[in-house]
This record gives sequence, C-alpha cells and structure tokens, in this order.
Amino acid sequence: MTAEERAYLWLCGCTSLGDRDRAALLRAADPAEILLHAETIFPAVLSGEHEIPPYDRRMHDADAFLKMLAAKHYFALTPFSEDYPEPLRHISLPPLVLYGLGRRELIRGRKFCVVGSRTIPPWAEKAGRDIAERLAEKFVIVTGLAEGGDSAAIAGALGSGNLISVLPCGLDCCYPAAHASLKEKIAERGLLISELPPWEEAKKYSFHARNRLLAGLSEGVFVLAAATKSGALITANCALEYGRDVFAFPYSPNVRQGEGCNELIKCGAYLVTGAEDIFSVYGIEAGEKKEIALSGEEREVLAFLKESGQAHPAAIAERTGKKIFEVTAILSALEIKGAAVKAGGNQYSAAE
Amino acid sequence: MIAKVKCYALSGLEGVPVEVETDVNKGVPSYDMVGLPDAAVKESKERVRSALKNSGLLFPMNRITINFAPADLKKEGAAFDLAVAISLLKASEQLVGADMGGTVFLGELALNGDLRPINGLLPILISAKSHGYSRFVIPAGNRSEARFLGGAEIYPAENLTAVVRHLLGVSPIEPLETAEYVPHAGAKTSANLKYVKGQPLARRALEIAVAGGHNLLMVGPPGTGKTMLARCLPTIMPDLTFEEALEITKIHSVAGVLGEEGIVTERPFRTPHHTATTVSMCGGGNKVVHPGEISLAHGGVLFLDELPEYKRSTLEALRQPLEDGKITVSRAGGTFTFPARFMLCASMNPCPCGNYGSSERTCSCTPAEIRRYRKKISGPLLDRIDLQVEVDDVAYDELTSTGEQEHSEPVKERVEGARRIQRNRFGEYGIVTNAEMGERELAQFCMLDREGNDILRAAFERMHLSARARARIIKVARTIADLDGCEEIRPKHVFEAVSYRIFDQM
Repeated sequence: MTAEERAYLWLCGCTSLGDRDRAALLRAADPAEILLHAETIFPAVLSGEHEIPPYDRRMHDADAFLKMLAAKHYFALTPFSEDYPEPLRHISLPPLVLYGLGRRELIRGRKFCVVGSRTIPPWAEKAGRDIAERLAEKFVIVTGLAEGGDSAAIAGALGSGNLISVLPCGLDCCYPAAHASLKEKIAERGLLISELPPWEEAKKYSFHARNRLLAGLSEGVFVLAAATKSGALITANCALEYGRDVFAFPYSPNVRQGEGCNELIKCGAYLVTGAEDIFSVYGIEAGEKKEIALSGEEREVLAFLKESGQAHPAAIAERTGKKIFEVTAILSALEIKGAAVKAGGNQYSAAE
Repeated sequence: MIAKVKCYALSGLEGVPVEVETDVNKGVPSYDMVGLPDAAVKESKERVRSALKNSGLLFPMNRITINFAPADLKKEGAAFDLAVAISLLKASEQLVGADMGGTVFLGELALNGDLRPINGLLPILISAKSHGYSRFVIPAGNRSEARFLGGAEIYPAENLTAVVRHLLGVSPIEPLETAEYVPHAGAKTSANLKYVKGQPLARRALEIAVAGGHNLLMVGPPGTGKTMLARCLPTIMPDLTFEEALEITKIHSVAGVLGEEGIVTERPFRTPHHTATTVSMCGGGNKVVHPGEISLAHGGVLFLDELPEYKRSTLEALRQPLEDGKITVSRAGGTFTFPARFMLCASMNPCPCGNYGSSERTCSCTPAEIRRYRKKISGPLLDRIDLQVEVDDVAYDELTSTGEQEHSEPVKERVEGARRIQRNRFGEYGIVTNAEMGERELAQFCMLDREGNDILRAAFERMHLSARARARIIKVARTIADLDGCEEIRPKHVFEAVSYRIFDQM
C-alpha cells in the first residue's frame, strides 16, 4: 500500500472532518504531504480547531486500521487503486475510500442499478425480481439493502451472484437490522460496498449520500417503484446529473407507489416492462426467455387474469364455472410456476 | 356412638372418597373438627348447627368430634355440609333404623336447612360410581346435571328435612330418571354460515380446518366478519358423542360454568379477551386448581381475536397443550391434569392500521412496523397453525345482497364424511384427525408421487417457505383429498394446500 493510500485511509478515519473538508485539503496538497505536514496544512486550509496527532501516531493509526480491515476480510479501494470504479471519479464528491466485502472482481463488471421504494405492490416486486434476474445475466446489479425494491433486486440477482449492495452504514453495521442474514448472504455470493468506516451507523443523511453512489457506479438506473417523494427518485436525479440513463416501471394512475415512476416516464425516462427493454437500449442481445409449461385450465385462468388485470378467485370461479377451491388450486399452481402473483386481499394478477 | 357417612372431595377432575366420622360423647359441650378441613369446611359447624335447629332437629349438647378421613387430604369447599349433618344426626341417635349403607351425601346447607347446589357434582358422581357406590343424595339444584349418569339411584333433595324423612322411610324421595342424551338439545348459538356474506375462501378454509382438526388463522382488515366466521365453527363440527359430552361437562361442572341444561350438548366456543392472564388461560389457582380457558374449550373451539394483542407468555403457554391435548398444572397443593384438546382459531389484522394488502384503502404502516406487529407471534406457535387464510374486504354491495349463502348443515355433512375416512384410516393408531399425524403416519398415509414432490420443491423455492411448513402442507393436502373422497393425494390437493400458507410468504 502506497503512502498516498495510507494518507487517504487516515484522512477518512479523521471523524472530525466532513467530506468537504477532506476535498478542500486534497485540493490544497498531495495526500502524502498532508500525512507528513498536517500540523501546517490543516490550519491553513480549514477553519476551526482540529486536534492533529503527531506523524508517528498517524502512521501507526493507518497501519492498525489496515490490520483491522484485513482481519475482517474487508478491502479498501482508494482513487489510487487500480480497480477504483472509473465512473465514480467523474461524479461530484467521489468517495475517498470504498470499503468492500465479498467478490472484489464484481466492481470491474458492467454495472446497472435497480432501486425502488420500500413499500411496493406484490406484482411489481415480482416483476422487479424477474427483471433483475434477467439483467444479472449481462450486468452486475447495483442496489441497496432495504425492503421492497431493493429486496426484489437482491432476490433476482442473488442467484447468479452478480450483485453489489451499497450500504448506507459501515460494513460492520446492518440497516435495516432485520436484513442481517441477507447481508451475510450477499457478502458470500456478491459484494457489499460502503464509503463509511466500518463502525459508522446509518444516519439520516447517509441515505442521500449512498444514493449518489448507486447512480454513480452504474450505467443506468431502473426505478421499480417510487412515490412522489422517495429515495428512489433521489437516485434517479443523481443519475440525470451524472448523465446516466434512467428507466422506470409504469403504473396505473391511481397507485401511490407508482406516481414517481410515471412522472419519470413523462419526463423522458425509458419505459420498462421487461429486461429486453433495457437490453435493447444498450444493444445487448437478450437471451431466450424461458417458456413456462402450463396446462389447459391454467392457461384459461391466466388469460382471464391478463384480461382483468387483477382478479379475485370468486370472480374467476364465476367466469369459468369451476368451484372456488379448484380455482384456488390453479392459481396456486400458476404462482408456484411463476406465472401469477398474489396481492393482498386474495387478489391475483398475471406476472409476465 | 360413632357414625360414619360417605362423602366426596374434588381433586382436579377426579372425585376422592372422604369419610365423615362423628363421635358424640358425654362431657362438657364442645364441637371439634379434625382431618385437614379448610376454612370453608370448618365454617360448616355453624351452618350445620343452624340448619339442624331450623329443621326441627336436635343439636346434641355434648362433646362432639368430627373427623374427615383420610386425614392427609386437604378438604375444601362446602360440599361436606350434608354429610356432616347426617353423621351428627346418626351419632346422636336421631336416625335410628335408617338404611344408609353405601349412600354418598353431597350438598351445601343453608341456615334454614335448604340444600344448595355444588360445583363439580358430575365428576364426583362419575368417580364414585367407578368406586362402586350407587346411591347418592344430592341437592335438587344439581338435578339436571346428575340426570345423565345412568345405573345409579340418585335422590335429589330440597332440604335437610326431606333427606331425614327419606332416610327414615316416612316419605321417600323419587329417584332421578336417567335422561336421554340429545346433541344440540336447547341449542344456544344462533350462528350459521348462511348469515356470512361472501368469503368463499374463508368458508373453504373453515371446512378444511374442521374436517382435519387443523388450527386456523384468519388475517384480514377490521370489520370483515372474522369473528362471525369463527362463531360458525361449532356449527360445522361433528355432534358431540355422549362420552365427549360427559367429559366436557365434567370440566364445566368443576369450573362452575355449567348452564341450565345440565350437560353440555354443543361444542364449546370460548373467546377469552386478550387481557387474559396465563393462569386464566391454562388453569391454576391458589388452593383449588381451576381449569383454564383452554380446558373449557376442550372438544370445541378456542377463539383468540386479535392474536398479536395477547401477551407473548400467554400465547407461548399454549404450545405444549396444542401438541399434547392436555395441560398439567403443578402447584404446591398438588399436580392436576386437565384435558385441553381444542381447535385453535385466531384472527388478526394484516398490519397495525389494518389496511395492508387492501385494494380499496391505503396502508399507512412502514415495513418495520408491520414486521414488529407480526413478530409478536412466534414462529413455533405459527408452526402449529396449519391453515392461514386471508379474509376478504367485503364490499358494501355484498353486505346488502340477499343472495342465498350455503348453510352450515351441508358443510357439516361433508366434514363428517371426511372424519369417517380418517377414523377408518387411523383406527389402530390412536389418533382421530389428520392434524395429529406424526412422522410415522405421514410416511404411511401421505406418500406424494413424484409430481407432488416436484410441486413442493418448486413451491419452496418460489415462495420461500420455511422447512417446517412442509409437513403442515402435506397434512392439509391429506385433508383436502379426504374431503374430495380421494385415496391418494393429487397435485391439485397440494396446490390448494400451499395457498393456505400465506404467513410463510409475508
């Protein structure tokens, strides 16, 4: 590890500094210089008092920190690292250090971001899962770790392992806490990334900062669900700012979780109903879609579902002349085969 | 002279014989009781003294010693009054020539000599009969309860005078005629599935749950008729047999909640409020151990409305009785086992605001709130609930529609058909319903073909089912096949069974 990288790690460990302070310091001097002559550079660049340890301590702190990272199998990327993601260099306030846990090679792949708000209709979640699963064949999926849209993307991409989850907290922590086991799974099969030191808890503002990384890392951002005020929209805004493509899943007008998506489409975002729509924008040949084998009566019920959008088994029973429990069995079969999805209130809809 | 009279004490649901011995000696007038009587028994002194006086009988002004044998058993309650009075009369030679051999005297005395009814008479009579006693004098107020015990002479008496005149042969009391047991005699419930509007899926779940003895959880927004559906459960359960009715009556008699009709002819439906304590739920008490709600629901339904509102410890206490069908309550005073084979039916909202998943209204809960709400129900408890069904949000049109809904009676017939199949199947295995199947029975009666296994595997992958859901799904599929009259479990049965595991997916 070079002196510059050491300096970066040390600077990031100085918790009394903000991002802007660090950026100002780095504009003023080389990182290695800062490490050597902090006593003179700090007061010259920054306003306010800063307690600055002597040089020996600084070196020692950086070494101890590196040892700690190694012990936990974390790795740290700085702009000096060879595999520091190129697109990130061009966003405002690129992270000085990225901490990672998992398959480091994923950071070099083609990355595509899938996000969505935490509350999301079951059919949209199902669609998101399927789209993420197919996207993961060609891209590394970048997303967060929350419920709803993030979970859908994770569920879709985890199988292939082409998944980067960017945390709003340090790698030691987990937000939301209920996803601790999911986080472990991602560390095993995919990659976890955070710009915060490992011990840092999630703060209100860290979500906003994290969203800029989601957009910054990726070639495009697909918004699966977003109300008019939603973190997913912040990610989309960052994407526009950084010149990335924005994609959105369409909703019918009265669905609250889809208002933001529809707004994005009005403003010119690509409308996405399947992974092909995204592949075609990037000129990627999409693989063959798997055909689901269905029986005659399953096809009949599925056709009715597609026709009516959302239906209760009782309505299907009335239409097809079957008994209600026969319809339940067929719907359950469709659900297991992945052709239908159950929403709340015993409503079913087609999922293709 | 020493007189001995038979009486009975209650220990849990069992009667224990107690002999009341009275000795009347010359000496300074005194009145002592020995043999571990508690306060209520000791107070019988005064009741007996007044009752004798007010019945025109003589209270001997001598040295009186009363002993309750066996001496090591704690005697509680007022049921010994009559026996004490009779033994006093006999010892003071006021009942000369009366034939009292093998007669058991039960009853509490009022000061004017009237006999008051006692709790737990039926279990005492049943135990005493099995101990070889066949003549009983009981309070007239317990008449309806005692009518159903065949093969014994039971004399219901209004007051002490009537007992004495009967014993002396002056005016014998007519023995009780044994009554015929009729299920649903004097039915109280007005619930019937015909009053439930819509809810085709929940109706089906109710039918499956009762047919296979499965526990049931209904999830749905407030005001959708979950309680009403639950109230219909007893109306589609098979009729009580006499043996079942007697067993239930014993419990209700001990708890003192027996109604006018004297025997329970309908399956119980208990709805303890969510503020219920663990003791009220499982049984207990300081000295006298009372059966709890789960024992009172024995043979019927225990309905827990708003399941997440119950105290966690109370819910967890249900786990063992749900497996064993009985509860053993241990106290310093002894260990008592009460039967508790009930069907658990629970209801809850899908989230704190109640609108999660509703197509009409918007849910205002955050995912964390919903998770916290659902976490109040532990996995192991949920694991014991085979069927989980979502109750529909009923539209206004449906509420006001006059369309004919299926009545409880045909559903009950189908349930009885499925139960017959299960009885034939499990004849020698000591179980009655599919829900009670263990690993051995599952392997024997619920073999899935390859297609069925493939479905289950796909279901597990697709719907992220927990591993323990597997056995539950197979049991429910078995019941659905039984309702269908099908020997083997077909794929459609498995598919339908999978749809009743909503909680594993949420």
